[in-house]
Amino acid sequence: MASPPSHAPVLSTPAERTFEDPTPVVPSSGLPHLSDEQLYITYEIQRTVQEIREGRWKRITLQFPDAMLGDGVRVYEALARGLREKRGKRGGVGRVKEEEESAAQEGSGDAGVASVVEGMEKVDLGNNATDKESGEEEEKLFILADTSYGACCVDEVAAEHVDADAVVHYGRSCLSPTARLPVVYVFTTRPLDLDSVVKTFAGTYPDKSEKVVLMADLPYHNHLEEIHSRLKTQGYGIIWRTEVVHDPSSPLPNRTVPREIAEDVSRLRDYRLFHISDPPASFLLTLSSRVGAINIFPTAQESEVAPKALLASSSQTLRRRYALCTRLSTVPIFGILINTLSVKNYLHIVSHVQEQIAAAGKKSYTFVVGKINAAKVANFSEIGGWVVIGCWESSLVESSEFWKPVITPFELTLALRADDDRIWTGEWSADFEAILKEKGEADDGVNANGNGTPMNDEENDGELDSEEESAPPEFDLRTGRYVSHSRPMRTNIRTNAKKVKDTPNGNAALIKRANGDLAQVGGVVSPGAEFLRSNRTWQGLGSDFEIAYEEDGASAGANGAAMEQGRSGIARGYVVGDHVDRS
Amino acid sequence: MVNFTVEEIRGLMDNAARIRNMSVIAHVDHGKSTLTDSLVQRAGIISAQNAGSQRFTDTRPDEQERGVTIKSTAISLYAELQDPEDLKDVPLKVDKNEFLINLIDSPGHVDFSSEVTAALRVTDGALVVVDTVEGVCVQTETVLRQALGERIKPVVIINKVDRALLELQLSKEDLYQNFSRVIESVNVVIATYFDKVLGDVQVMPDKGTVAFGSGLHGWAFTVRQFATRYAKKFGVDKNKMMERLWGDNYFNPKTKKWTKVGEHDGKTLERAFNQFILDPIFKIFDSVMKNKKDEVMALVTKLEIKLTVDEKELEQKQLLKVVMRKFLPAADALLEMMILHLPSPAQAQKYRMETLYEGPHDDESAIGIRDCDPKGTLMLYVSKMVPTSDKGRFYAFGRVFSGTARSGLKVRIQGPNYTPGKKEDLFIKSIQRTVLMMGRSTEPIEDVPAGNILGLVGIDQFLLKSGTLTTNEASHNLKVMKFSVSPVVQRSVEVKNANDLPKLVEGLKRLSKSDPCVLTYISDSGEHVVAGAGELHLEICLKDLEEDHAGVPLRISDPVVQYRESVNGKSSITALSKSPNKHNRLYVIAEPLGEEVSKEIEAGKIAPRDDFKARARVLADDHGWDVTDARKIWCFGPDTNGANLLVDQTKAVQYLNEIKDSVVSGFQWATKEGPVAEEPMRSVRFNIMDVTLHADAIHRGGGQIIPTARRVLYASTLLAEPGILEPVFLVEIQVPEQAMGGIYGVLTRKRGHVFEEFQRPGTPLFNVKAYLPVNESFGFTADLRQATGGQAFPQSVFDHWQILPGGSPLDKTTKPGQIVEEMRKRKGLKPEVPGVDNYYDKL
Repeated sequence: MASPPSHAPVLSTPAERTFEDPTPVVPSSGLPHLSDEQLYITYEIQRTVQEIREGRWKRITLQFPDAMLGDGVRVYEALARGLREKRGKRGGVGRVKEEEESAAQEGSGDAGVASVVEGMEKVDLGNNATDKESGEEEEKLFILADTSYGACCVDEVAAEHVDADAVVHYGRSCLSPTARLPVVYVFTTRPLDLDSVVKTFAGTYPDKSEKVVLMADLPYHNHLEEIHSRLKTQGYGIIWRTEVVHDPSSPLPNRTVPREIAEDVSRLRDYRLFHISDPPASFLLTLSSRVGAINIFPTAQESEVAPKALLASSSQTLRRRYALCTRLSTVPIFGILINTLSVKNYLHIVSHVQEQIAAAGKKSYTFVVGKINAAKVANFSEIGGWVVIGCWESSLVESSEFWKPVITPFELTLALRADDDRIWTGEWSADFEAILKEKGEADDGVNANGNGTPMNDEENDGELDSEEESAPPEFDLRTGRYVSHSRPMRTNIRTNAKKVKDTPNGNAALIKRANGDLAQVGGVVSPGAEFLRSNRTWQGLGSDFEIAYEEDGASAGANGAAMEQGRSGIARGYVVGDHVDRS
Repeated sequence: MVNFTVEEIRGLMDNAARIRNMSVIAHVDHGKSTLTDSLVQRAGIISAQNAGSQRFTDTRPDEQERGVTIKSTAISLYAELQDPEDLKDVPLKVDKNEFLINLIDSPGHVDFSSEVTAALRVTDGALVVVDTVEGVCVQTETVLRQALGERIKPVVIINKVDRALLELQLSKEDLYQNFSRVIESVNVVIATYFDKVLGDVQVMPDKGTVAFGSGLHGWAFTVRQFATRYAKKFGVDKNKMMERLWGDNYFNPKTKKWTKVGEHDGKTLERAFNQFILDPIFKIFDSVMKNKKDEVMALVTKLEIKLTVDEKELEQKQLLKVVMRKFLPAADALLEMMILHLPSPAQAQKYRMETLYEGPHDDESAIGIRDCDPKGTLMLYVSKMVPTSDKGRFYAFGRVFSGTARSGLKVRIQGPNYTPGKKEDLFIKSIQRTVLMMGRSTEPIEDVPAGNILGLVGIDQFLLKSGTLTTNEASHNLKVMKFSVSPVVQRSVEVKNANDLPKLVEGLKRLSKSDPCVLTYISDSGEHVVAGAGELHLEICLKDLEEDHAGVPLRISDPVVQYRESVNGKSSITALSKSPNKHNRLYVIAEPLGEEVSKEIEAGKIAPRDDFKARARVLADDHGWDVTDARKIWCFGPDTNGANLLVDQTKAVQYLNEIKDSVVSGFQWATKEGPVAEEPMRSVRFNIMDVTLHADAIHRGGGQIIPTARRVLYASTLLAEPGILEPVFLVEIQVPEQAMGGIYGVLTRKRGHVFEEFQRPGTPLFNVKAYLPVNESFGFTADLRQATGGQAFPQSVFDHWQILPGGSPLDKTTKPGQIVEEMRKRKGLKPEVPGVDNYYDKL
């Protein structure tokens, strides 16, 4: 064999670039630097300390969204100090040990690093002095960085890595119920110009007898009480001030509702909603069909004049979602993306979605890719559409950058519904708890959950037609054409049942699979494998020669090159023969 | 009522030599349906009195109401030649004087051209109807061109001769000149689309391929008929007589000799055609219309016409009708012309096979088609769907080209996207029933052998609009029809009541099936869109949708035009995009594909499934491509068959084959939604100049390449002077001279421009041809009527795409920029077009 090449081929990217970090640096928040007192208030140190003490938690993780990581160390210090003081009052200060994830600090810059070093020294000194004074076990605090899914969800899995008892979650949150750990939510209240809010409110609703729901994004929630009382004095009668509840499936997600609405949700339509700060898109979609109108008070830029509370319109977004649903109704293969590991019931909804897809005669594959991005999901070209299982806020992925559309479980229910059964009223729901609830109700009766009709159809077909006849194609509403094989697993149901009867002990024996046979799932060719077989031109080494262009074929020769020893080892530095390719 | 039985017809079907499949085609209002009535009357289905007014083949109430044919309608007729002697002249030897004529009446309005295409596919001959007064119009030309493209032989009838006589009061010679001008212009069209295999099919009265008549009055004649009469009378050879009765042939009464010179001793001689053919007709007209009863009766006796007592009492036009109909029955002339001059399936399929069949021309199916073999493998083309009385179900209407279709036969149904060896668009199903299509009714029939037209029950669910049925696993498809019209005008519909949505969806599905051309889909912005060829087409479709297919109240938006995105120049620099992990780079240059190539792709002449070497040859020879480039076309798009090309121009790039699929996916994605307004792209050629890839396969997967390919294509488009293409109608307007001014006013206001204008010889009518942007065409007809006092009648047909003038679409101050902004708003996008920086990466 010739001497191994010392470099990778010239036309390819040099291998060392593999290790350059291509991920963009998260811009440190646009938030101003906080003084110590402000920090103390914003991060509600006192309350947190109190709750930690009350819960008698010993290992606590602090979860910050990326934008707030810069404050993480100072919050940590403040908490540690607070806890120490409390402990001291009760007769001693425990030892605090510090754990940091280095990734967090790189993002936060030099100042952060410096303060951490400083902090560590201080804490260490303190520890030495007070080590053995108390018998009480000291609390351990951990900062979680690089949350796997969304900043709004509590990252229970990461917390469990350090065997934590509780999580303190900072920033805005989706308030989805957690399954394993108790959570302290700190909404990190931001300042708000109350005068301008009140002025804008009055400008928006000149009629003082208007029924208005007053609502704010979580960082502004604490101002509501003040605003409410000010408005009351101005003579507004029927204003409902919402309170935070941990219930994403409430008519107003995560907020309390007036009593009359709790009885009859449709009466919410009489109300108008005044929302402070931009709500997440899924919130708008959910509410647009429930309340009369939504006005949003913008908090993004500060200005002298009171800003206008713009009327939010989500009808276009809703229509786009409808288009997506109909587009996916003929897709044969779905990918289920798990975008959370902490939301309670996510396993139920995964299996429910899987059942739904299977009942519609389609195939599903389940993926966990961490934070979703276009590049990750585009790697699976056989998937026609993605269903995201996540918290109610992050499961709505509104981006045209995705190669195949991404929808929510609620939308999937719609997409799988037969065409003669699908009704689109604009009602939209992001929360999958609702779907599970619906499922629970429907389970007793007929298969009302959308897949009932196609199942019936199929049975009828089975009686009318003989077995070898094909199922009719489906009309793809999106393109106006017929699509064949939109339910690849449909035949499965029929033939499989037959097969089982035919060969009672068929499963027992090992069967040798002929070379080149496609994998079979329950009697039908795996749709994924079938896709790759029929739609992919490049099928591995050697197939290059088959699809080589005519004139190339003549010069390049149809035989290809001789087999050579390739590289081996790990990606950090491959070994080619005896040469270590490391640079 | 029917005076022949299904058994009789079934008997006739077995002998392909005695079958004629023909369609009646013409410009709108030239009298197709009325003429068809005369034929149907001969087959005994409608009574003689109603012929000419009933329009048997207009089966829909709105067709009857508007007097416009909307759907093509088939009917099977039983015919025999008047004179058994004529059997000798039948091109293919036949034993009996019994013929089966499968006739399809087609709509004449341009908006329904797709119906004509569907009709032509299943027939071998065409009866082209031309109005004496209006002559060859735009649609006459279009349908004739389509017919010749399908290798369909034409015969012509010049219709509405009664108008020339009664309204225009033409003299004999003027009428002759008029006839010959019309025939001349028909022949010009035929000569333009000359097809070697089909041979010379120009029409000649002295060959018997032209008839003259009046559908309304129910009479028609061919020169051959008169020649036969006179041949008997004078005892001369019929064929010689035929030649003399047309053209510059004169009978000199003095010398009793035929001459070619129109003068003798200083006196003009009367043309033989005028003297022997027109003269008796003129006499009848003259005497009847002037109420000279005695003369009429004398003539009637002379011409051996038998009138009943009642009929003798009639006057004026009524009498004229009866006399002429008895003198020269239209059906005789037409049937004679069809039987003698149109090919039987046995003849026609010999030369049509190669244009019909996609597969190799020597396989079993091809041979079956060529020989029109009823025992061969089944090859059946379904050209359209006809609604049944059972709501939501359809008859699949088509023709057996080979083999025999019968009830219960298990067939392979191959949709338009079927490729042999793959499962896509392939279904297996039994034919439930076969039926004979008889205008508004159907007759069940046990089986139908090759060469016949039929309806099928029970396969409608498997085909959207058209497809191939076969029993042979190796069969390829019969070629998919290409329409001369495209759905460029669209409106969106929504239900007034949300609960009606399923009904609307179901209705849209049905609508899509019931019309060969209409397109229904849901746009990315969630609107239900119905797209049609023109305003009338769309109006009819929406009416059907609301009243029939969906049956629920609808809200219908204003019509909108579909645009396309294209480029005006070559990318100013090579566009470069990096993959999300920055390890792969694509370099692409966009340039205009060229209108000619785009049109050929859209017409299916350059197609993705062609042999790449043959395709490269065509591109190199006809369009000046480099052969090497032409062989390296990766794909067509959008939808793998659109008029954009992706060409690999890289040199020695490693792993390139591995990422081809990903790049192609990105290309399909990008060409479906362009960078400017997310409209489909058209007529852009993308050249991949270079590719840099990471050495590890894991770092160059689809996730890295697909989004990057899309971005680099966007970047290259934005760097190549992007433009918006708008569809343009070709408008033909017929108008009297005094109203011409109004036309110009309206056209100028609507950005139209006239490119041709000529006076119809012998008439005060002018023919104006103009280009009119589709976007401006809404309400054009009404405006025109108003401006001309109702004297102008436009016919608009989609002609081409043109760059929207007025500047760059990226500049908001220009007209294209405003249109783009409005489109983006409608779609719920950011109003600004994203700049090239979003897609272009620095090295």
